[in-house]
This record gives sequence, C-alpha cells and structure tokens, in this order.
Amino acid sequence: MLIVDRLSKVYDAHGRRVEALADITFSVAEGEFACVVGPSGCGKTTLLRCLAGLLSPTSGTATVHGKLAVVFQEYGRSLFPWLRVRDNVGLPLKDLSKRERQAKVEGALEAVGLTDAAGAYPWQLSGGMQQRVAIARAIAYGPRVLLMDEPFAAVDAQTRADLEDLIRDVWHRLGVTLLFITHDIDESVYLGQRVIVLSSAPSRVAENIKIDLPDERDQLTTRGDARFVELRARIYAHIQKAKRGSTS
Amino acid sequence: MSATLKRVGIWLGLPVALVTVWWFASAGSTDFFRPSLQRIVQAFRETWLGPRFVEEVLPSLARLAVGYVLAVILGVVIGVAIGLSVRTRALTEPVLEFLRAIPPPILVPVIMLFAGIENTMKVIVIVFGCIWPILLNTVEGVRATDEVLTDTCQVYGVKPLRHLVLQSASPQIMTGARQALAIGIILMVISEMVAANNGLGFTIVQFQRGFQIPEMWSGVLLLGLIGVALAGLFHLAERRVLVWYHGSRDADRR
Amino acid sequence: MKGLLGLACFGALWELLPRLGVVPSQWAPPLSEVVRALGAEARERRFWDAVTDTLVTWALGLGIAVVAGIVVGVVIGAVPLLRTATASTIEFLRPIPSVALIPLAVVLYGVTITSTLILVVYASFWQVLIQVLHGVADVDPVARDTASIYRLPKVRYLYWPTALPYVATGVRLAASVALILAVTGELVIGSPGLGKQIALAQMSNAVPQMYALVLVTGLIGVAANVLARFAERRALFWHPSVRREVPA
Repeated sequence: MLIVDRLSKVYDAHGRRVEALADITFSVAEGEFACVVGPSGCGKTTLLRCLAGLLSPTSGTATVHGKLAVVFQEYGRSLFPWLRVRDNVGLPLKDLSKRERQAKVEGALEAVGLTDAAGAYPWQLSGGMQQRVAIARAIAYGPRVLLMDEPFAAVDAQTRADLEDLIRDVWHRLGVTLLFITHDIDESVYLGQRVIVLSSAPSRVAENIKIDLPDERDQLTTRGDARFVELRARIYAHIQKAKRGSTS
Repeated sequence: MSATLKRVGIWLGLPVALVTVWWFASAGSTDFFRPSLQRIVQAFRETWLGPRFVEEVLPSLARLAVGYVLAVILGVVIGVAIGLSVRTRALTEPVLEFLRAIPPPILVPVIMLFAGIENTMKVIVIVFGCIWPILLNTVEGVRATDEVLTDTCQVYGVKPLRHLVLQSASPQIMTGARQALAIGIILMVISEMVAANNGLGFTIVQFQRGFQIPEMWSGVLLLGLIGVALAGLFHLAERRVLVWYHGSRDADRR
Repeated sequence: MKGLLGLACFGALWELLPRLGVVPSQWAPPLSEVVRALGAEARERRFWDAVTDTLVTWALGLGIAVVAGIVVGVVIGAVPLLRTATASTIEFLRPIPSVALIPLAVVLYGVTITSTLILVVYASFWQVLIQVLHGVADVDPVARDTASIYRLPKVRYLYWPTALPYVATGVRLAASVALILAVTGELVIGSPGLGKQIALAQMSNAVPQMYALVLVTGLIGVAANVLARFAERRALFWHPSVRREVPA
C-alpha cells in the first residue's frame, strides 16, 4: 500500500520558486486500484516521482510499502534499445538464477500477450507493444506496488482501449496496489476503484471519490452506464472548478 | 543476381576507370619524379611483398595497435569519469580544450625529450593524439544519457555504470574511435618520419632522401592501402557493435 | 568559473612538478621558464614571421578546401547519378592518410609552402565534402516538391539553405584539421612557420623555447576552434533543430 501525508514539493528553478505540490494527503489500500487526475501542470508527475523515490519532498512524506515498479509515459525511451525484449524484461532480475529469470520473463510476456516478440528489439515494435514490454518488465519484477505515469497518453485510442483492459487484467491477476496517473477522466473512472482529483498547482487533493462501479468493466457497456456518466461528470466539474479557482 | 552485379559494377566503375587512365597516361613516362604506374606496381611488389613487410611494416602497425588500444581504454575510462560528474566537467573543460587543440605531431619533439626515438616514444605520441577524440566524445555520450533510462535504473535497482552508461554512449564513443583511428595512422607515420630508425614512415623517407622514386611512390601507395583497409575493418566492427543503434535510427526515420 | 580554477591548477602543477624534481627539468621546464622564453620569442622578428606564415598557410589552405569542398559537394550531391558513381571513389580516397602525400609533395614541389599547402588542402577538403554531401542529401522531400512546383532554382533556394548548417560544421572540422596539417607540414617538410621553428628549437636543444612554441600553437588552435564554433552557431541560429554532427 502507499501513504502520502502532507506532501509538498517546491522547485527552485533559475531563482523562481515553483510550488508544484502544496499539501497532498491520501492513501491507497493494499491491492487497491487508484487513479489520479488533475488539470495539466498540476504536479501529477511530481507526485509520482516523489513516490518512486526519484525526487525528495520539500516536506511531508510519500511512503510505499513493499517493492515498487514504475511504468513511464515515454515507453520508447524507457526500454534499452541495445537489448532484446526478453533481456529488457529480465534486466531487473539479475539476482535470480538463469532458469528462474527465464521463467519469470516468459510468464510476464505471456501475461501481456507478447510471447512471440521475445527476440525482437524494442524499436522493431509498435508503440503499444513497447508499452506492453514495459508493463511486462514491471510484472516480472514482482512488485507489491505499481506506479504508472500517464502510460497510455501517447498511443492511439484503439491501442489505449486494449491496454486499459490489459492493465485491469494484470491487476486482477497480481493483486498489486496500483496508482495510475492520467489526464483522461474517462480512463480514470473506467479503470479505478477510486479517483483522486488534484487541484491546479500548488496542488491539493480536491476530491477523493470511490468508484462504485461493478468489478467487471467493459469498454462498451461500462462507459455507457448511468453511474459511469454521473461519476465522470462529477470529476469533470471538479477539474473545471480547480482550473478556474486556481488564482482565488 | 544481376542487381548485385550492377551494384558491384557501379561501385568499382569509377575507381577502375581512374586507375586505368592513370596506367595508360603514365605508361612510358620518362619523368624521373613521376614514374609510370606500371613501374610503381613493380616496385611495390619488389619492395613490400617480402621480408621488409615483417621488418618494417608489421612493427609500425603493432605500435599503432598498442597506442590505439591504450588510447581507447584511457579515453573511455577518463571520459566516463568526467562525463558523470558535472563538477569535474566544469573544472577540466578549459584544460582539455587547450590540450586537445595542440596538433599532436608537434608533440613528437617534446615527447622525444624523455622517450627517445624508440617504440615508447611512438606509442606515447599515438596515445596522446588518439585519446582526445575518444575522451571528448565519451564525455558527450555520457552526458547525453537519457534521463528516462537513468530513472528506470534507479527504480528497478539496476546499476547504471554496469548496464547503461557505456552502452548508451557507445555510438558517440565509436565516432570518436573512428576519428582517433585516422589520427593514429597519421601519427604512426609522422613519428617515424621525424625521428626513428625503422618503420614504414622511416623507410619511405629513406627512399625519398635516397631518390629511390618508384620505391617511394610504392610506399605512398601502401600507406593509402593501409588507410583504406583499416577504415574498412573499423566500419565492419562498428556495424557489428552498433547493430541496435543503426536499426533504431532506421526505425525512427521511417 | 570552475574552469579557471582547473586551468590554475594545471598551471600550478606545471610550475611545481619540475621545480620539485618530480619531473626532471630536462623533460619539461617549469611554466615560468616557458613563459619567459615565450616573452623572449615575442621580441624576435622571426617569431612573428613564423606565426604569420602558419596563419597564412592555414587560412589559404582552409579557404581553398572549403570552396572546393562546397562546389564539388553541391555538384555531386545535386545529381543522383554522380552521387552513386563517385561514392566508392570517395570512400577509397578519404581514408588515405594525408601524411602519405608528404614525400610526394617534397619530391615534386620541394621544401616550400606549396607542399604544405597541398597537405592542408587535401586533408581539409574531405571534411568539408562529406558534410556538404550529407547536407544536400538531407533536403526535405516536401521542400523539394514545393520547389519543383513553383519552379524555384533548386541550388539557391533548396540545397544551399539546407546544406548551410552542415557546411558550417564541415568548416569547423576542416579548420582544426587544417591547422594540424599546416604545422605538421612545417615540422616535417620544413616549410616556413611555427612547425619549422619547433624543429629548429628541438635541434638546438632549446627546450623552454620549444615548449613556448608548442604553447603558442595550442593557443592558436584554441582560438581557431572558438572562432569556428562561434561562426557555426551564427550560421545555425535560425535552424529549428541543431543538427548533430555527421560522423566524419
């Protein structure tokens, strides 16, 4: 699980002080799928980097319990171009024996449907497939917590729909705690058990909504569901308010 | 089959034509300083395809190899160290800019002061000249490491020095290594022309001073062939090592 | 700022190590002695003559090489047939070490500036040519089609502007190569210039003087690099993306 307590992050860039995160507090329970949405520039990526240990907070804490893995938005740049897919997926597993590593890699590639691509180089694959490799790498690592930073923002809509269903499937199978950052409101409601809405920078948690949709989600029916539309509208209104109210 | 033949034909066409023109234009030449190509080829066969190859040419190439390999190792190690540290880079930049601007051949007299004219001097000269392109390109390559990859290493507990830095910088390092090879050949010859008692460069200068003109031309020809051969070998090696890089560039271009 | 500190440390080491005997002073005299010798040199007419000779050789050789490289490069680059026909010849001639020409030049043209000039032009020409060929090849196909439709003269409106950044890079590379070959030619062939002065100093075992001349040559090299990089940046300022130097 992960706990964020009064997290704040201030950047000092060229003499200007930029307060990205003012006071963020929320927690995600063990095995829960939570989405974070907010207007552009509200510091979603900063929040993720603090959780991932890539940035240190100015004050407050961002704690993750257990091993964590990250899937970045720039899938093209997060895979090592000199390694084949299977070696990319197996890279974090260098402490394991060769056989163990191979087994985990094969399992992970199967989970994302890329068994045939094991011997290819990342740049030989499409964008969607590259992101699947990144997801497979996270799966093989066996984390308790998975952080995803707008992972499907840079793929086309069709591929995005497939990847959304894939990640819910992976989440079900592994039982990881998943924090999913996105700017796409529909996606956040479709995917999450809970949606955390951030205000504009300096951001706070504007809303922490439980998504009480059934666990079985489907691209066609769920998105037309009345409750889905209601939740979506509520979040949309919050974000509009957050955008307008940022200066008040 | 005929497509390959056509490609080979185009590749060889102009060079063969030029050589043929040279052959016939210079045939029967009585100019002492510009002997006929036929005479040059004959001198080539007599001079270099014999014991002299082992006595003079191989030692020169061996010195080049030793100097070059040393320069690569030193250049990469120092380059990585400097490239990883912003502070070290800022500290050393002007000094390195100055040292690399010194034309390496004029260091031959300097290095002769403490290394004499034997093998050590020549190897040191080659190292000093070859190290700069490698070192500077390594620094550039290390600097340009993609931050997403660095973040990935940090998250997954992968050591960047072992798995990321050199691999990511390798295309840039290869560029430096290619430039260094060209410089190395030049320095191998110069160090022997200026001060030596054996070697390929020394032998050619001896021919020149002794007015053995066709032999001198044949030496020049040999140098040209060595240059082309080494460049070709490097190209092959680079294609093997950087398969992934060329592939990903082609994919980007599409 | 830190760079100056680095230079100062370098200077301090150069002064101290020979004085302390760590480096035998016949190998390398202390910096102060070298500077004193430099001062003495600067009072001699022959020093300034040598500097002028080197600079003239360098500038003349570079100029000829740049003009020839651009003309040949644009002509070959603009005609695809020429491009394919000459590709192999260029690949064969390029790697021929310029120093191979030294004995030929001496035998045919004697111990004159002409010999050194041949060396300089030969080596620098290839640097410019390769860059220009890549520049012309880099022409945007959309731009080319536009020029065709509007019947614009291709060389002036298409090839030249596209190739200009590459030409700038080529000139920068050629400038450094030209200086190296100019001084090398003076050293080995004996044509007038700094290289010859260094050879003379070495023969008369005037060690501080020799170092002083090497220092001056290095400084000229630095100045040439800085100038060339400055000119390159001026030529590139309008360019949307700074082109990466094509491996020469």
